[in-house]
Amino acid sequence: MHSILRSTLWKKVYDWLDERLGLQNLYAAVLDRPEPLGNWWNTLGSASAFLFLLQGATGIFLTVYYTPSPDHAYDSIQYIMEGVAFGWLIRGIHHWGATLMVLVVFIHMLRVFATASFKYPRELTWIVGIGLLLLTLGMGFTGYLLPWNQRAFWATTVGTEIAGSVPFIGDFILKALRGGPDLSALTLQRFFAAHIWMLPALMAALIGVHLYLVVRHGESAHPDPED
Amino acid sequence: MSPKEMSRRDFIKLTTAATGGVMGVALGVPIVAYLIHPALREGSKEDWINIGNLKDMEVGKPFPFTFTRTRINGWERTSSSFGGFVIRKSETPEDLLILSSRCTHLACRVHWVDESGVFNCPCHDAQFGREGEVLNGPPPRPLDRYTDFKVDAEGNVSIFIEEG
Amino acid sequence: MNEETKQKINQKYARQLDKGERFWPDSIFKDVIMAFGIFTLLILLATFVGVAPEPKADPSDSSYIPRPEWYFLFLFKFLALYGQIPVIGKIEWPATVLIPGIAMAVLTLLPFIEKSPYRYYGKRVLPLSVMTIFVVSMVTLTLLANVPTTGEGVYVLGILQILGGLVVPGVGFAALFVMAFTLKEKAAKLMVWTAGSASVLMVALTAVTLIIAPPHTSTESEVAATLPDQIIAGQDLYSLYCVECHGDDGKVTVIEGVEGLKGKVIGAINDTDTLYTFTDETLANIIIYGQQNQGMPPYGIASGGELTRSQVDYIVTFMRYSWDDRFEMPPMKPLFPPLAAGEVPSYDVHIEPIVKRYCISCHRQGKDNNNYWMTSFDEVINTGDNAPNLEAGNAESILLLTIQGTPILDDNGDELIGVMPPSKSMRPDVIDAWVRWVMAGMPKTAEDAATLSVTPTPTP
Repeated sequence: MHSILRSTLWKKVYDWLDERLGLQNLYAAVLDRPEPLGNWWNTLGSASAFLFLLQGATGIFLTVYYTPSPDHAYDSIQYIMEGVAFGWLIRGIHHWGATLMVLVVFIHMLRVFATASFKYPRELTWIVGIGLLLLTLGMGFTGYLLPWNQRAFWATTVGTEIAGSVPFIGDFILKALRGGPDLSALTLQRFFAAHIWMLPALMAALIGVHLYLVVRHGESAHPDPED
Repeated sequence: MSPKEMSRRDFIKLTTAATGGVMGVALGVPIVAYLIHPALREGSKEDWINIGNLKDMEVGKPFPFTFTRTRINGWERTSSSFGGFVIRKSETPEDLLILSSRCTHLACRVHWVDESGVFNCPCHDAQFGREGEVLNGPPPRPLDRYTDFKVDAEGNVSIFIEEG
Repeated sequence: MNEETKQKINQKYARQLDKGERFWPDSIFKDVIMAFGIFTLLILLATFVGVAPEPKADPSDSSYIPRPEWYFLFLFKFLALYGQIPVIGKIEWPATVLIPGIAMAVLTLLPFIEKSPYRYYGKRVLPLSVMTIFVVSMVTLTLLANVPTTGEGVYVLGILQILGGLVVPGVGFAALFVMAFTLKEKAAKLMVWTAGSASVLMVALTAVTLIIAPPHTSTESEVAATLPDQIIAGQDLYSLYCVECHGDDGKVTVIEGVEGLKGKVIGAINDTDTLYTFTDETLANIIIYGQQNQGMPPYGIASGGELTRSQVDYIVTFMRYSWDDRFEMPPMKPLFPPLAAGEVPSYDVHIEPIVKRYCISCHRQGKDNNNYWMTSFDEVINTGDNAPNLEAGNAESILLLTIQGTPILDDNGDELIGVMPPSKSMRPDVIDAWVRWVMAGMPKTAEDAATLSVTPTPTP
């Protein structure tokens, strides 16, 4: 008796939502799609997306306590690690998640290369994917400076010097990255802005395009000797 | 469709694009300037910096010195430190070679290693000789020299620093 | 690609879709399991490995050896090896910009470079071989990142690395392309062998290099993570560098016992005049730059001293929590574990922290101390103009007398060694540790001390 009532109520709610959200259409278009037989190598793409979301979530929580200024960056992270409940866990996940994401994205790229899935009609998916790989590395580079410890500071000094080795425009690039000739509060601030807003926005946009293309063309089948 | 309607549609399309374009430029130019402003900043301050006295410097042995310069980056005043080595070639006061301690590869600070008679850079294992010449490793040129220096009557050594 | 080929591809794909699985639930199931695995792995890493603490950024301390994030290490090593190449190694931008730029361009435009419609591995031997050599060289360069490239006694290592990191992959790539263009279809097996042997060779050279390379001494400076650790680190540094002039409680107003500054009047640094009006940053600046017109030398590295920014901060933290009554000292560990009845202290666990706190500021090289240095176990036992200062089992040992208030006089009745420490005697439990230690024979390690300890029998 009880369950009949509940199912009728649920059906009514569902129908109401479906009429307005188009849930059935969504289901048919996105979820109820046929795919070729896949294996565990095919999970790397969604694993990359999962890591992106996890990094985004842990990153957002970190900004509740982190201050992007040379005076306070280091101490604010110390507070997160020692003073905030589970701060060490959020930061730890974000730290290791960064390493793991670079690895997973790279291996995903290798897999797509190995199965030549970047060929017709998925060329654009590949190009967008390489863009995502570069953005992931950019996230790693900008995020690395934020703890403002010796490792971060000097690694960024060397990294921006390398950027400055481009012929002709290198000096301009170095100063634009650093916000001046030296590493300073301006550098930390713009790396922070890039890391929490600009690069993630670009990544989200490209991920959107990448996913649209994957849904449109379907996941590629693993090649057989005829291909 | 009459020619008048067609051109009205085209007119609307044109106006939309133009309005969007104007907004894009009006936002875009200031935004670009906003982002790259610090890269365009020039600034220079020149000064004579005292780096030590001859009486502390042994002939032939590199004498390390450091000094700090304050730079203004945005709202911050930062002191950067610079360093180098003074090498007296002989008893003559002005017979000095003043080398910068900044490795010419990627700007790490070199150290003088007495036992091997070389300057060693810990970052990519570059080595420089007594004259600052490159002995080994990736640096593209010898250690920079402070060529503008003076020694006063009391033996104080100063170098001339410009800042960019 | 012509329309006919595209049609064939699309039709085959449609067939494969029919024979396949569904996104929901089959693919998503695998995705969720993978996500769960990753999630668990991250929690385990965050909990059991954590994040290594690093000292605070110190722009003036460039003696720190910089390393990029691990995923850039291969580039870092490539640059170092490239720099060894005569002549062109001096020009930076080919290695920093050109080669990586070309690699990224090839990768991005790959669909337009590898234009054939073939997807099966057997028909793509050239690209797969190239990628294999490339990835293996990335991995080996990453592993080699901490091995020195040049310098004293590094000749053999340098050669091995140049072979494994530049020559073998370079020759491998060249060979592959030559084979592809000359032998064409018949090249496949040869290319596989080339890629395979190049990879094996790179791995082998890397292994040999890592085995014979000197152990990597990482620049690990002490990082105090928690507040009590910072206070202790600060106190130890203060005991070493500051006590001479300022006293162990900061209240000295006339300097004694420091060459050249005897009788100099200074302000106390533990009072409200200092602590309420100077911020932490001001106190740090005073330590870094000194007060050179008044005789206080600079202690910051940039100004010629020895202390890193982190160390200066620890000293300020110690001062703030010890002497500023607005700040409550957190619960602190004792200097050494309290001694039980019959327990014999050891140098490693008990005496060393005591010496560090109370003695080393004077009893080290360059200070006025009758050449009695105390920076190591050997020095404590053996050095000094009046050695031996410690004699096993002798309650009248020089050190034991001086720390209990009895100065040592010479034959004329003049003071040879004053009471120690000169300004204020140590606490009774500290003196007791010294006495027990000397009487038991001055054991060094905790194990040695444990064998000498006795558990007293309870009185009946």
